[in-house]
Amino acid sequence: MLNLSSKARFQSRSIGVFSIACVMSLMVAMPVAAADTNTLGFVVRDWFTSVFNSKFLDECPEGLTMANDEIWWRGLSKEERATVTENGLIQSLARQFITPRRGPNGEHVCHDPTSVIDPPMKVVEGKYSYGANLDGDTDGSPTPKTCSHGNFTHPDDGTPGIDNQMYRLLGCIYGWRRGGLPEANAHEGRGTSGLGMILIEVSGITDPRNSDDVIVTFYRSIDQFALDGSGRPLPYSSYNIDMKDGKPRYNDSLKGAIKDGVLTTARGDVRLPFYGNYNFMHPIIRDMGLKLEIAPDGATANGMITGYYNMDEFLYYNGGMTGHVSGGDNCPSMYVAAHELADGYPDPDTGQCTHLSSAFEIGTYAAFVIHPDEKKKITKR
Amino acid sequence: MMFSLPQLLIVKMRHLCLAAFAMMSCLVLTGCGNSEPEITGAPPDMRRLTDEQYVNAITDIFGPQINAESHADPLLRADGLLAVGARTARITPSGFDRYYYQARTVAQRVVSTENRTSMFPCEPRNVSAADDSCARQYFTKIGRLLYRRPLTAAEVQTPIDAASQAAKVSGDFYRGIAVGLAGMLTTTKFLFIIDSTEPDPNLAGNVRLTSFAKASRLSFLLWNTTPDEALLTAAETGELNTKEGLKHQVDRMMASHRLDTGVRAFFKDFLQFEQFETLEKDSIIYPAFTIQVAEDAKEQVLRTIVDHLIVRNQDYRGLFTTRQTFITGALARVYQVPIARPADGAWLPFEFPEDDLRAGILTQVGFAALSSHPGRSSPTLRGKAIRESILCQKVPEPPGDVDFSLFEDPNSPNKTARERLTAHRTSPACAGCHKITDPIGLGLENLDGIGQLRTTENGAMIDASGDLDGIVFTDAASLGMTVSANPATTSCVTQRLASYALGRSIGAEDRELLEYLGQGFEDDGYRVPALLRRIAYSDALFAISVPKTDNATVLSNVDGAVQEKIEEKQS
Repeated sequence: MLNLSSKARFQSRSIGVFSIACVMSLMVAMPVAAADTNTLGFVVRDWFTSVFNSKFLDECPEGLTMANDEIWWRGLSKEERATVTENGLIQSLARQFITPRRGPNGEHVCHDPTSVIDPPMKVVEGKYSYGANLDGDTDGSPTPKTCSHGNFTHPDDGTPGIDNQMYRLLGCIYGWRRGGLPEANAHEGRGTSGLGMILIEVSGITDPRNSDDVIVTFYRSIDQFALDGSGRPLPYSSYNIDMKDGKPRYNDSLKGAIKDGVLTTARGDVRLPFYGNYNFMHPIIRDMGLKLEIAPDGATANGMITGYYNMDEFLYYNGGMTGHVSGGDNCPSMYVAAHELADGYPDPDTGQCTHLSSAFEIGTYAAFVIHPDEKKKITKR
Repeated sequence: MMFSLPQLLIVKMRHLCLAAFAMMSCLVLTGCGNSEPEITGAPPDMRRLTDEQYVNAITDIFGPQINAESHADPLLRADGLLAVGARTARITPSGFDRYYYQARTVAQRVVSTENRTSMFPCEPRNVSAADDSCARQYFTKIGRLLYRRPLTAAEVQTPIDAASQAAKVSGDFYRGIAVGLAGMLTTTKFLFIIDSTEPDPNLAGNVRLTSFAKASRLSFLLWNTTPDEALLTAAETGELNTKEGLKHQVDRMMASHRLDTGVRAFFKDFLQFEQFETLEKDSIIYPAFTIQVAEDAKEQVLRTIVDHLIVRNQDYRGLFTTRQTFITGALARVYQVPIARPADGAWLPFEFPEDDLRAGILTQVGFAALSSHPGRSSPTLRGKAIRESILCQKVPEPPGDVDFSLFEDPNSPNKTARERLTAHRTSPACAGCHKITDPIGLGLENLDGIGQLRTTENGAMIDASGDLDGIVFTDAASLGMTVSANPATTSCVTQRLASYALGRSIGAEDRELLEYLGQGFEDDGYRVPALLRRIAYSDALFAISVPKTDNATVLSNVDGAVQEKIEEKQS
């Protein structure tokens, strides 16, 4: 454990050294054990599926995909339309609970997406996407670990071979585009509920701006965000790790390095907590990598998580949202498209890929990650 | 001549050795010691209860379930203390309205169905009618606690009559009692601590405080509340008029956990913590500063004080260097330190490392935030606060025509407060005062307007060095050491505590008393409980002089003079 003295810490800040490592060293000297002075901590506040929206919707040349509501409405007979609108007297239909129940036997098409066959949904046909080259190639050819897929080019730096089939699936759905309701609602819910709290702990820091060999561990917190008057999280808050049977409930780690304030990890499978739109999940993101740009003052860090996201878990999440009115998606069409677009981890028996290459934009705040042993020491005196 | 801190310590050590040698020589050769001087005392007076004393008294008399509040007219600070300003406090018409509203609220809660059984010594014969006998029992009992002395027959009769009339009108005995009780709660006899006197049997022609007035002085000094039953009984039996009896009661009260309340009350006054009630910060500049932070910051300083001075009985000077404190989740975010329980508001012990810049209460969020502007720090306000509150030195008010343009110019090339104040001080009218405040306050410039650590201001490195009365320091922590070593630090708290206890300004005529207390404080290793005990044991605490008047019947008019003041205040 690197125990920088706090004054040394303070002086190190004064010469421009990254502040979070410094503040982490400002801890209770006695009897509280020193918090790990070579550790940075972050709490994830923003988690948005990364979608590239061009100015003129070029990525969706045929427009946005047809939503469940429209398909439902088109499928109604004249008599049925008269019934649900009380002969045209009701314009604003309380339809959110009835439109998905259009299976042949009243099945909920989001819970049972194969109960009907809908027109294919529109998917992204553009050239650009955010994300990472997960499979190392630029042509999307199948490999033992991947299925055939299209590649994108990064819109900012022109990097070829970007894998982001999740974007290809969602980019032409009104609600899943930037600022859409499903993401906004999930974001809002996480901000005030204390659910799905992701902690990122970076240990092995030698220099907060440049460290060649660090370990990045992902935990869940059981504490809510500490918010300021305008609802933004306050940096340097403390968050306890969620424990089960004496061990962290989430505890996966990746190797990484920090160069000029940018943390980049190697890839590995990581299980993360997730909460959004009243659904709890704990997806394992395969071949996950994190790139995090730490602000010079150390108070915030923004970046991207990339990797292969389990298709069934995503479909379960999307299908579990209530109503599908504002999301603008259609579950049966999405189910088919997702299976066609899945590009990672083929099923050994069927060859059907089970994961979608994905990218998530994250925003984090500097935080103290409190381990149970530290908690015991802090509360002991 | 400038001393560095180590040099100062050597000089102080020499002084201490010489003083110790002189003291031992004195004791060996002459048997001399530090004995209490006789002081004349001040004429009897009356002081309005502070809001906290009002709430404490109601809570102690009727119980916490009454949930009392007080929002009286603000007291004016005099000679550094609200406790002294309380002598001149009046009750304005709107202030009386608030007292009356609160009195009615308290009275209604006292007679409520759920509370009345535990609070009444008797049951009325008929709850739908007046019962003067039961009312008399009640008002006699409760009046003694409210007025902090037994009531005269007339004083008991007044609420009985009011209760009787109200019971007849309302057809409810308890509603009648509530009316009588509300009346008692709005009299000056409850709202003011009155120096009632009696002829001094040991000194013909003089007066002394009644033992009940002594009980009030002791109780409000040590516990900041009304006398408890044991203290009133000691007053009743005359125990408080004997040295042994007084000592017994003081020792009992000093041993109580309620001493914390008394010590907190003094330091809240001493450090001018009433300013927290109007403390505001710009949430755009300081998003971490919430209402909770303000409350916790105040509480942190008080907890540190009680822990250092009472729980651990440490040297008063150590308050300015101690690294031991307590924090909550809200404060941890401002201090940018980890805490095990971030969300539930729990207070956890905390200690800053030995070489941290934070040491002592001056570096805590409470002091740093209170003596700053809403959107920036203020070396001037901080220096002024240290001079006036900690060292008891008067800083002149700024002239009315101060030109702040150089200081506040947003396009100024001066990036740090030091640079801006240097430019501002080019005006001779400003230089005089800033010279005595800024060199101290600049030592805290590594703490921003809410006490968060910083190394730069507007991109420029902060120089937190300075000097206090010729002693140089380099940063916030060493400023604390410098304050701690300043002789005015201990003499100031001695003077303020004496003034607080006596409820009046300390003047030149009290010089010997201050010397006695100061010497005792030093002999006791600057332990505040010992100083408090010395004051509580002293004759000075109860010394009263006859008001100066040409009237020959001085003695008989002493209480009359107070009564006149009562009427004047009531009017």
